[in-house]
Amino acid sequence: MKPITEDLLSTYLAGRMPDWRDIGIANLHRLPMGASRETFRFDLAYTDDAGRHEDQMILRRDPPASNVDSDRSHEYNAYRAIHGHGIPVPRMILLETDPEPFGGAISLAEDLRGFHNSEYQIQQPEWRERLPRIAQGLWTAMGRLAGVPVEELELGFMKPATPEGTAMQELDYWEASLDASDVGPEPITRAAIRWMRRNPPPPAQKLAMVHGDFRAGNFLYDDAGEVIAVLDWEMAHLGDPLEDLAWSMSRVLSFGKDDRRSGVAPREEALRIWQAASGLEIDSAALRWWELMMCIKGQAIWNAGAAAWVKTDDPMVIHAYAAWWLRNAQDRAILELMGKL
Amino acid sequence: MKPGIAAVVANAAANLRDDIAPQLNGFRAGNASMIAAMLDIVAEEWDRAAGRLVAENADLRSVLVRGAALVAGPAESPDFGNGDLRISALERENERLRTQLIELQTAVETRDDAEAQALDQAIWDLLRRSVESRRIASANF
Repeated sequence: MKPITEDLLSTYLAGRMPDWRDIGIANLHRLPMGASRETFRFDLAYTDDAGRHEDQMILRRDPPASNVDSDRSHEYNAYRAIHGHGIPVPRMILLETDPEPFGGAISLAEDLRGFHNSEYQIQQPEWRERLPRIAQGLWTAMGRLAGVPVEELELGFMKPATPEGTAMQELDYWEASLDASDVGPEPITRAAIRWMRRNPPPPAQKLAMVHGDFRAGNFLYDDAGEVIAVLDWEMAHLGDPLEDLAWSMSRVLSFGKDDRRSGVAPREEALRIWQAASGLEIDSAALRWWELMMCIKGQAIWNAGAAAWVKTDDPMVIHAYAAWWLRNAQDRAILELMGKL
Repeated sequence: MKPGIAAVVANAAANLRDDIAPQLNGFRAGNASMIAAMLDIVAEEWDRAAGRLVAENADLRSVLVRGAALVAGPAESPDFGNGDLRISALERENERLRTQLIELQTAVETRDDAEAQALDQAIWDLLRRSVESRRIASANF
């Protein structure tokens, strides 16, 4: 990939923002996050007619090969769509879809510093007492997102969906992803897909803006365990509000290696918080179907990472690691949900 | 090789994780930690992978032979690995057999006769044994 340097950024911004003068870029470095996109942090200073500004920024760049079929424009628009609707998110600053300047499309956003986003940190004993507050913030934000009327959001950039069709639309999409990133036969995943087609869920009780990766590791929290912002909206889409809830129940993303979902709270506690915040019902059979659906999605993403690792000249360690670490655990989670473990 | 490969790789993982990664920052520190975790997986798999694959391939052949009596189609052929015990050869054979298993389960899982249901249960039992034998210590589940 083309190196992103402070000079490159400064020159680009001078051309892109003609009202900005005396642009300064400092402390640019890549952050250890994201299997699908590169994330950089830097300090920005500039002068315009309002005076001198000093901002902290996040730059995200699309890679040549990813485990997720998304792009800068989609995530940028998703952030802008939900901003101001009761879900805390960083403010988007700039989108550059032309890959020429940086070797891939980029977006710039405000960098909310001084907070944490580690799914592993909260597993440490000193965080145990703060987990209930994190749980409250996590599933309340998720529930509020589920409850937002999609008619109030600018979601024209998203693939259309209907309450009746969203389940099979998602299953079709992720099965096609599995087919496209074939890294070997998947008897458990394929058996689950066949069962899901024979036993579809009821229509969604409403359409919602689904975050698509709502879990520990994808939100910022402060020292007290207060949730500050929800990140990583690149897989956001229209769908069933149970979908995000189901993803957050995932066994493979339960980083405490116990019954606490997302490594944060027991399943029933998480469901109680989500239900209170969303005002929606949780049909247990429908939720189980969506939990299986999230296993299919997960396996498709881990396999896509493995396939991306093989086909690129500059493979990312995380793509191989995630596949090694998660694929069998994902199969085991499917067996549990199907009552076969 | 002496010292034993699994022990050496596990030790290299510990060095990378505990001594080297903490000296790094940001993206490089994250990569080093992931590589250490992958070395741990390699150490865990090194000693057991061939035995696990031999046992699972035999398990798969047994179920496929049983299925051939129930489902029209070619009977399971002899071991295509021809005694090659390299992990790459065993994995190729494993993938060939698992592909056949998918076809077999698809054919029997919706049948309501007792023989088909018993075979479907045998397939799920095989898949459960397979998953349990592939578990790694670092997995969340």
